[in-house]
Amino acid sequence: MTRSLPKLRIAAAAAAVALSLGAGSAAAKDVNIKVWAGGTNEADSYRMENIEIAAEILERELALQGKDIDIKVEGKRDFGKWKEFKQAVQLAAESGDAPNIVVTSHLDIAPWSKAGLIVPVEDYVDMDAWPINSIYPNLMEIASYNGVTFGLPQDAESRPFFFWKDTLKKIGYSDAQIEALPEKVENKEYKLTDVLADAKKAVDMGLVEKGYGFYPRPSNGPDYAQFYQSFGGKMLDKDTGKLILDKKSMTEFYQFFIDAVEAGVTRKNHLGTDWGQWYSEVATGKAALWHGGTWHYARYTAKEGLDDFFGKVQFSLIPAGDEDGRPNTITQPLVYLVTKQNSEEDMEIAAELVKIASSPRLNTLHAIKSAHLGISPEQGNIALYANDRWASEATERLLVHANAQPNHTAFGQFNQIMFKGLETAWTGTKSAEDAVAEVEEEMKAALGNMLIVR
Amino acid sequence: MKKPSHLLGLGFMLPALIVVVLFFLLPVFMTAGIAFTNMSTDTGITGGAYELTPNTIHNLRTQGVDNNLLAQLETDVYRIDEPGLAALATDMGDKLAKELGDTHGGVTFQSRRELERAIKKLKNKPRSTRKLKKAAAFFKRSILNQRFETESEFVSATRNLGLDLAPEHQEVLSKASYTGWTWTTENFSLMTKLPSTLRIAGNTVIYVFFTLTFNVSFGLFLAITTFYLPGKAAATFRTIWFLPRILPPVIYVLMWKWLTWDTGFISTFFGQFGVPAKNWMLDTNFHAWVVIILINGFVGASMGMILFSSAIRAIPAPMLYASEVDGATRWQQVRYIILPQLRWPILFITSYQTLSLLTSFEYIFLATDGGPGKATEVWALSAFHQALANYGGNLQYGYGAALALVLVIIGIIASVGYLRVFNFKELVARPRIEQ
Repeated sequence: MTRSLPKLRIAAAAAAVALSLGAGSAAAKDVNIKVWAGGTNEADSYRMENIEIAAEILERELALQGKDIDIKVEGKRDFGKWKEFKQAVQLAAESGDAPNIVVTSHLDIAPWSKAGLIVPVEDYVDMDAWPINSIYPNLMEIASYNGVTFGLPQDAESRPFFFWKDTLKKIGYSDAQIEALPEKVENKEYKLTDVLADAKKAVDMGLVEKGYGFYPRPSNGPDYAQFYQSFGGKMLDKDTGKLILDKKSMTEFYQFFIDAVEAGVTRKNHLGTDWGQWYSEVATGKAALWHGGTWHYARYTAKEGLDDFFGKVQFSLIPAGDEDGRPNTITQPLVYLVTKQNSEEDMEIAAELVKIASSPRLNTLHAIKSAHLGISPEQGNIALYANDRWASEATERLLVHANAQPNHTAFGQFNQIMFKGLETAWTGTKSAEDAVAEVEEEMKAALGNMLIVR
Repeated sequence: MKKPSHLLGLGFMLPALIVVVLFFLLPVFMTAGIAFTNMSTDTGITGGAYELTPNTIHNLRTQGVDNNLLAQLETDVYRIDEPGLAALATDMGDKLAKELGDTHGGVTFQSRRELERAIKKLKNKPRSTRKLKKAAAFFKRSILNQRFETESEFVSATRNLGLDLAPEHQEVLSKASYTGWTWTTENFSLMTKLPSTLRIAGNTVIYVFFTLTFNVSFGLFLAITTFYLPGKAAATFRTIWFLPRILPPVIYVLMWKWLTWDTGFISTFFGQFGVPAKNWMLDTNFHAWVVIILINGFVGASMGMILFSSAIRAIPAPMLYASEVDGATRWQQVRYIILPQLRWPILFITSYQTLSLLTSFEYIFLATDGGPGKATEVWALSAFHQALANYGGNLQYGYGAALALVLVIIGIIASVGYLRVFNFKELVARPRIEQ
């Protein structure tokens, strides 16, 4: 007995070791997925939460295939402003510590893909599989660069023109005319000249204060390219992949804002107005006409306390400026991008998560919570989306007409020079012609052979 | 015996040396280096790869590369050929390879997606997305949009295409396909070409000159007036005027915004008298400049005030008493006793503030961000905008560094100039009394 005891002990110890080893080999494999989202507030939390939900679904799918993988999702959205986020992503990636998934503007695809920070999502997922095959084709195109699909659209939005109905009525519009406005805008029967005329009436009749007839966005954004398009401007030459400066359209676009200032309907120093002040003013009818984004709906109706939005506000495409131009709206969808990692498997899982998170049901959660628009027509079949008046009407009236700014490595510079030019014209520092001349000179020097001047 | 004491001296200086190297020399050398590159977000910082994209091909057209050749490179082709089938068979089994060969042998697909669709219809199709992608990759017969980490990989992939490529064309192709940064002096030629360069230079001169004038004169004014106040009152006033400097810049500028905005204090106050509300900070270029100079001026003046105050106290009191006995007025005391003795502090503050104003932009960034238009965009702010805060996100590190390098050079020249003008040697010479 006493002799066999040590043996038993050894056997027991061996069994314990074997068990623990066995348990070790059967344990789930851990995969950590970091998701960084730019420009994201509490209302946009589903940008990250949908990845978490997707991880749960993927884990179950993999388990059924006999793969025990434990996916841990770690979301981060507190980056300050967009530029801090973009710096953070670039620096993390350059130092080899990139998050697996980033949620960012589609405009980052061009520079980040050239720099090798991101990988094409089409290398990892089947592009013909659902839900990818159900996403709006124009949004999928926006997530592509050089003919390669790099990301999947995370949300869609659009930038409408807004009218304060009460003011319109007081300057002589009937209810029926107000209802017909979006259609008139779409048919080019209501143009930017009418915007100035109506805004002037509202100011002259004392319905709104001077400078509040037409109350544009107070800072740079894709919105201003819409007015360039209203006068027939195009940003990208698809044949050559070069950016286009259309001098005539650019001059007319600048002139429109100069005219608005001279007519007293827009303030000369409007740019730089505090956003908080701006939101509260447009949501309380202090401005007659303005333009903003579809996601503003959430801000107007919640924080700013605008009740009965549809009774008080009309919305449409941005009206055409002249016969050459077109009524339009720009969408600047955020995209899910998969970053370059050393592990192929991590990139594959990240791409798979992004795919699952793009399913209509999950995307609808984000769309409704953040007042964004859906990415797939199938979302119209989901009660939550279909019953939301704003989401469904805005999708129908705006999104189908939306285009995006081009994915191009030099577009950031193009946009910045264009906006600075607008600012110099708007503030009266230069005439529209002189401002465009300076823009031309700057663009030629900075963009070189990436630019076509018309 | 001398050695240890030398080491001790070095030991004392070491922390300072480390700080100088880490926070001055290193950034300056890096700036100087980066200024001569085209480094930006899209080139990356750590290096590039080789990738032929449709855009590259468009650009090559203008460089006289044979059009036929480019047309061949431009198409993304997937061909079901023997080498591909053989590779597929080795990797994924004969069945799939045979079925694909039988059904699509010799067929050319114009995109991966088309080929994937064809493979998915096969009976022996791969049962995972990863395998599907891998299977398709065996048949890729183009290098379009494919990323190669080294030049040799890129060159051999190009050779494998079987194109008739002359060495000089290969070189042009490799050069155009490189995605990383390269050494260049273009930043400086661009600087001379851009009309905005002259403007930001002019803005910088306006900014430095007026802010400096305000700083020094207001600092002097405060120092002299508080000198004649009773001790406690003087201390109180000095503390109040010191607030702009010790407040966090963000809060300090926010208070200016509250003061000057349409809905701010000035507008509300003048509104009582029927003056229409306006943005007193951004209404015109002139408004913007006045506010910028005041914002920076009050911060700078507090430093002048402290320095001048202590310098005035160092003036022997009997001189002032004597002048009072002689019936000198306050103004005469200031003019003939105080100001002449403040020569060195004034020169010091002037030179110090010039150099610091040249490179400072944080208050402008927070207040007007260079607006309205580019009216208050100074050189340092422009470098910041180019290198770190470009709206589109494609940050121009190279050009931003080139702008910063110009400031470094101007700063060094100005420092040397000031040292000569102020006769620095005389300032630090041993007092004669100790000789």
